[in-house]
Amino acid sequence: MANEAIHYPLGHAADNPKWTSAEIITDDLLSRREKASKTFWIATSVFGVLLALGVIGMIMRLVDGVSDTAQWGYTAAVLSFMLTTASAAPMVAIAPRVAKGHWRRIVSRPAEIWSVAGLISLLLFIPMLWALPSLEDGRRSMWFYHPGEVYPYSPHLWTTLAIVALVVVGFMLLWVSALPDLAAVRDRSPLGSAVRRRYTWLSRGWIGTSAQWDWQKHRIGILGAFYFLMLITVHFLFSIDFLMTLVPGWIDALYPATHAANALQAGVATVILTMFFLRRFCGYKEIGHDQFWGLGKLMFALSLMWFWFWFSSFNVFWYGKKPNEEAVLELFIKGPYLPIFYLTFITVFIVPMFTMIWNFFRRSVWGPAIISVSVLIGTFFDRVRIYVGAYSVSDQAGNHEGIETIPPTVYPDLADVFIVVGAIGGAIFVYMLATRVFPIINVWEQKELLLYKLHKKYHRTVVLVLGKPE
Amino acid sequence: MLARRSVLGLFKGVDEAADALDAVRAGGFEQHEYEILTGTPYPEGAFGEEEPKHSLYRYPLIGAACGFIIGLILTAGTQLAFPLVTGGKPILSIPPMSIIMYEGTMLGAIIFTVIGIIIESRLPRLFMGAYDTRITEGYIGLTVTTDAERVGKAEEILTGAGAEDIKRGWEQTDFD
Amino acid sequence: MQEYTYATDKELNQSLLKDVLGMPKWWLGAVSFLALVWLMGLGAYGWELNQGIGVLGVNRPVYWGFLITNFVFWIGISHAGIMVSAILRLTQAEWRRPVTRAAEVLTLFSLLAALSNIMFHVGRPWRLYWVAPYDFERGVWPNIRSPFVWDPSAVGTYLIGSSLFVFIALIPDLAALRDRSTGLPRKFYAMASLGFRGTQSQWKLQAVAGILLSALVLPVFVSVHSIVSWDFAVSIGVEGWHSTIFAPYFIIGAIHSGVSAVAMVMALMVWLWKWDKYITPDHFDAIGRLLIIVATTWFFFFALEWIFALYTLEGPELSLREWQVFRLPMGPLFLTFMITAYFIPVPAWLFKAVRRSPKWMFWTTILVNIGMWLERFLIIVPGLQRRQPFEFEWGSYAPSIVEILLVASTFAFVGMGILIFAKIFPLIPLFDMKEGTRLRDTIRVGRRVVPASIRE
Repeated sequence: MANEAIHYPLGHAADNPKWTSAEIITDDLLSRREKASKTFWIATSVFGVLLALGVIGMIMRLVDGVSDTAQWGYTAAVLSFMLTTASAAPMVAIAPRVAKGHWRRIVSRPAEIWSVAGLISLLLFIPMLWALPSLEDGRRSMWFYHPGEVYPYSPHLWTTLAIVALVVVGFMLLWVSALPDLAAVRDRSPLGSAVRRRYTWLSRGWIGTSAQWDWQKHRIGILGAFYFLMLITVHFLFSIDFLMTLVPGWIDALYPATHAANALQAGVATVILTMFFLRRFCGYKEIGHDQFWGLGKLMFALSLMWFWFWFSSFNVFWYGKKPNEEAVLELFIKGPYLPIFYLTFITVFIVPMFTMIWNFFRRSVWGPAIISVSVLIGTFFDRVRIYVGAYSVSDQAGNHEGIETIPPTVYPDLADVFIVVGAIGGAIFVYMLATRVFPIINVWEQKELLLYKLHKKYHRTVVLVLGKPE
Repeated sequence: MLARRSVLGLFKGVDEAADALDAVRAGGFEQHEYEILTGTPYPEGAFGEEEPKHSLYRYPLIGAACGFIIGLILTAGTQLAFPLVTGGKPILSIPPMSIIMYEGTMLGAIIFTVIGIIIESRLPRLFMGAYDTRITEGYIGLTVTTDAERVGKAEEILTGAGAEDIKRGWEQTDFD
Repeated sequence: MQEYTYATDKELNQSLLKDVLGMPKWWLGAVSFLALVWLMGLGAYGWELNQGIGVLGVNRPVYWGFLITNFVFWIGISHAGIMVSAILRLTQAEWRRPVTRAAEVLTLFSLLAALSNIMFHVGRPWRLYWVAPYDFERGVWPNIRSPFVWDPSAVGTYLIGSSLFVFIALIPDLAALRDRSTGLPRKFYAMASLGFRGTQSQWKLQAVAGILLSALVLPVFVSVHSIVSWDFAVSIGVEGWHSTIFAPYFIIGAIHSGVSAVAMVMALMVWLWKWDKYITPDHFDAIGRLLIIVATTWFFFFALEWIFALYTLEGPELSLREWQVFRLPMGPLFLTFMITAYFIPVPAWLFKAVRRSPKWMFWTTILVNIGMWLERFLIIVPGLQRRQPFEFEWGSYAPSIVEILLVASTFAFVGMGILIFAKIFPLIPLFDMKEGTRLRDTIRVGRRVVPASIRE
């Protein structure tokens, strides 16, 4: 039934007709990154300056002290935003790999590199440990702490461990996945040069034996699963210990899962935007319609899921009319943060929903890119709404009955603006530096695809044949 | 108006059927006059046929709009007509209304989609024309439906292209 | 999918239609037995209609018992069809081909079984139609703020949607049956197939229909069990019910029990119809791996629900949890539920030998469904028993023989329904299998031949 294979430009998985052999792919991709342009360094410097602003903002905040938890709302919001976007982005590399989709190959490295932004999350997290109110004041805790008992200050211990584990596993995943490419960079570098020495150290003796490939495949699988586990755990712990326990009367079993589900959506949006930048400004035209279409569909489904999770919580609270739940709805939705809620609802759900149902929008490059900007803006404001609102009532946390007074909207001061701008800028800064170490496109996976993909003549038409080695 | 007749050529392989299709086209028959019949879907273009066009996507949109409106009228209208306050909730409560309106929207979309599929597939078709039951056993049929005076020419072309069997119009009643 | 069988279209027609056009030896006996159980259930229902719902075990304060548990259980099983069929169709997973129709038919009959439980449960079933907005004359309309009005809209939409989905995908196979039958059956299949001939335009629409309907039914599938869960979650009066997590928790539980039911049906298809050539160990392996992920996600949501129940630190809630776990008779039921729903099946599925064996998959998935039935029971009944401090109406519940017969009859109904369906229509989609043979290919990589599939 199979007719002879023909030389045909690689169509679906990578839109580059020149990629017809492993040598060509290696040469093309690695030569593009050998020297960074001036524009690149200017942009990196700008983000570096933003990071410095963030540090200044943090110092300003620390000078005010850690006792007033309400002041740390915006810091918590941006930390949550980092965990929701940058830390969730590697899932785009992990999940489709499990599902064995070939289109994800070209975007898995840009997604994995976002794990380095976990450093910014760690930096932001450190002062939060002190800003978090003590359990002695009687606020709820999922660790069943009783005042007077000396138990490991669990929110601090376990959440720290979880975030550190997430960042470490993220780094390991990136490094293990990049080993063959680091070896390729090593092999291309002149003997005795500093680059060669650096990459020899980084590639740890990778020469591409069967045993090494097997080892790598298994490690990627295990690290991917661990990363997912740690991501869910971090979202779970952070949304409870650093958010829900601060709001009296807010008992929402679904919210940790909602927090994690929002992260999946925002992570996909982050990767789509990254893809757009790489294609538009860095010349990586190989990131093509298939990638935008695949991720666009995923983001559409996740936007619907956002609504489902939100409505599940909302409906149960709204219907029961319990005073503590009505107060929570008043705080987060109907009260001081109503305009932000509308903005979030529109940008995270309405806009993706009513644009992505159209084929022409979904199958374009610009369509998913616009929607991902909308989703990221909406996610940021959603985090602001929830965290700033929650931290503003944290002084009432000891009252288990419910919120008694709802404070007015808390607006950011200069320190907050610096911290927010610094965190986001810092994440991008770290990302851009990381792309100087790790090749931005996964070279070995493109070469692997050559083995399993070809176009064949099928009677009067040409079809794509995709191999399934497993 | 001249009577329309159909003739079917039965082929064993894809290439033979594709060659026959070329011959039919070369014989001056137009796209709306010939059809490939198969018992299973083949990759599009395998016979060198033109891409089938459809406008199915209109139907779910229209259906969803109808369902949404009916859902809105049902929920809002009935509650306003019979305003019984329950559980302290407003008469026009958006969360419950949105649930039923959502279901109505989806039901409308699904029903209209199914109607669209049937219509766009040109079903139901009361008179099948030339057909052979071996098509569902892997054979490929190429039918030409044309004026009575041209059907002979179509039959010649199909025979010349190596058809295993030729069937006319109503001759599809034999079974193995 | 490493193993598959080459079969010509004629061979596929013969082996997949032989029990539709002919009569398998075991069929009459099996259907008769199931019909007997079903009729016993109907007889019990007749008794209930005559005597009133006092013959059921429910009473104040345990108003909901076996029948509502069974209702939620069958709604859960009904999620199987869409999960397997729609999601695997949208992700272009090739292994779905032999099992989609069986899963969809399981959905249809499960939904009917679920709805029948409502009919069994209400005190005045002759007034069930009051839930519909029909009374223009008197202007008495149903209360749309009630979850019991949301339920029929959701379940009805799902039932209609699934039925139409099955019908549309059945049309090409009805055409094949038309071509292979004679006499009255031929007339029936000819009418049902609407004159389908297999033009390229019709096949393209079938492909588009599959994707479009899958994409439309998926959101409905999510909403159905969310709405059923809100029957419980929106109520503040019963401990253990008022939790925001119920919607996703019930959905993932439904997927867990539904996909397990599909695996059971797959094993039965191999044993009863001897379709081991088409449903291979690879299929069981694929569904087993899916089940590990689904079961673990379900367990995560279960744990989350429990953590937050304890997080409330409310006396009545803690009493309920203590009652559910540490007291008779709920304690042993809870232990059984935990072991059967997760702690036996999932560790077993980690072993490839178990995943690839129809026998082991059948027995582990039966355990899952026993566990999931108990899960629904443990959600519904203990809370209603009100075993809390300062509560003066401690209730107890024991199912009556009428309830037991009715529950058994729903199982018999679903089994019977599938068997009768399989006698009239092919349970494995013919055209899907034939398409699978067209789309299979291989790629040579050095000395190895790698299986591949054609994508357009």
